[in-house]
Amino acid sequence: MIQEENVYVGVYKVLMAGMALSTLFFIVGVVLSLAHPAVVPLNRDWIRAHYHWSVVLSGFAHGDPASYMLTGTLLLILTPVMRVIVSIYAFFIDKDYKYVVVTSIVLLVMVLTVILARFGLT
Amino acid sequence: MYYSYEYVFALLGAASLAGLLGALLGVGGGIFIVPVMVLAFRLPVKIAVAASIVSVIATSNAGGSKYVDQRITNLRLGMFLEIATTIGALSGSILALYLSEWVMLMLFSGLLAYMGYTAFVTRRLDDARIASGAFAAARQDRLSAFLDISGDYYDQAAGRTVEYVVTGAPIGAAISYLAGMASGLLGVGGGVLKVSAMNQHMNVPMKAAVGTSKLMIGVTAAVSSILFFLAGLIHFYVVAPVAIGTTTGATIGTMIMNRLHSAYLKWLFAVLMAYLSYGMLAKALAIHFGLHLPVLV
Repeated sequence: MIQEENVYVGVYKVLMAGMALSTLFFIVGVVLSLAHPAVVPLNRDWIRAHYHWSVVLSGFAHGDPASYMLTGTLLLILTPVMRVIVSIYAFFIDKDYKYVVVTSIVLLVMVLTVILARFGLT
Repeated sequence: MYYSYEYVFALLGAASLAGLLGALLGVGGGIFIVPVMVLAFRLPVKIAVAASIVSVIATSNAGGSKYVDQRITNLRLGMFLEIATTIGALSGSILALYLSEWVMLMLFSGLLAYMGYTAFVTRRLDDARIASGAFAAARQDRLSAFLDISGDYYDQAAGRTVEYVVTGAPIGAAISYLAGMASGLLGVGGGVLKVSAMNQHMNVPMKAAVGTSKLMIGVTAAVSSILFFLAGLIHFYVVAPVAIGTTTGATIGTMIMNRLHSAYLKWLFAVLMAYLSYGMLAKALAIHFGLHLPVLV
């Protein structure tokens, strides 16, 4: 007597896709980095210098390992976010509105985290 | 950091071992990989914690999807407790941004010591509760009744479907908040805390608690990861091999785990925890007080 079958199927698919995609990007990044072993800085400014679409895209074109690894990291972080969004949708389809609210609060905490990190904390 | 062949393969190997051990011992890989990155690879604590929490998402995806597929996970329970764990993760990771390295090392040392200690005192009482049907007969408090959480899963060992009614939602949420905070602050999954909260205070059978915890860990770790990412603490060159390694190790570990749970494994776990706890403490004292404890091995 499994209820919320839609939610189970949706959650499972998102988890599998996120895992496969991010692993793929990580592997490509590590392989590329091994082609040219180099000294990699450990500081925050170096890391944050990659946070631009233009840098990531030109990195893809030039085979910059950082671009691939950054994309893998982002995909990995976004997987649970997607999982929450898919769950809200699936609970909604099932007309389980109580859990639409419960799950939406979780999404709200994630949004709050982004806002706090962008404006003020870091 | 010189990103050489040796460095990458050593990191990959260490992460795989951490994932494997984690799966065998029923904890996440984070509890091993953070001290290894700090003590053996000499990475800054915050870089290690941030890389670990991202790899925790990876292992949660891998392990969590398996339990979801088998319908062992209780989604309603997970979604409810995630409110508490994500708020906990947010507060923990904010704290991590501001604490000094040595304080984080001390806290981690304490966590390792605690984990080693509890490995001895935990006992599984599920079998008796399953046989007597106690899981299905519990009375719900008002919040649990409002949330309307119950569940069932097929238990292969017991050879029957186990039904249960979830109780104790307020205390479960409170402990989950603390687990989330530990997760965000120290880069671990915090599964042990959540599982024992669900099993002991919320009337959830062990297997359902483990499956539900694995799923919650991903969302919890995502919140800390978002904060660390935007703070520029997630170093992708470290994350990539660590994530690949822990996922591979955890997958292999889960496959060979079957009936490996023995007193011997608990001993191994306790000794490892004590050793790593000592290492983290020694590093904290060396950084902050210039005090050098004797190095073991």
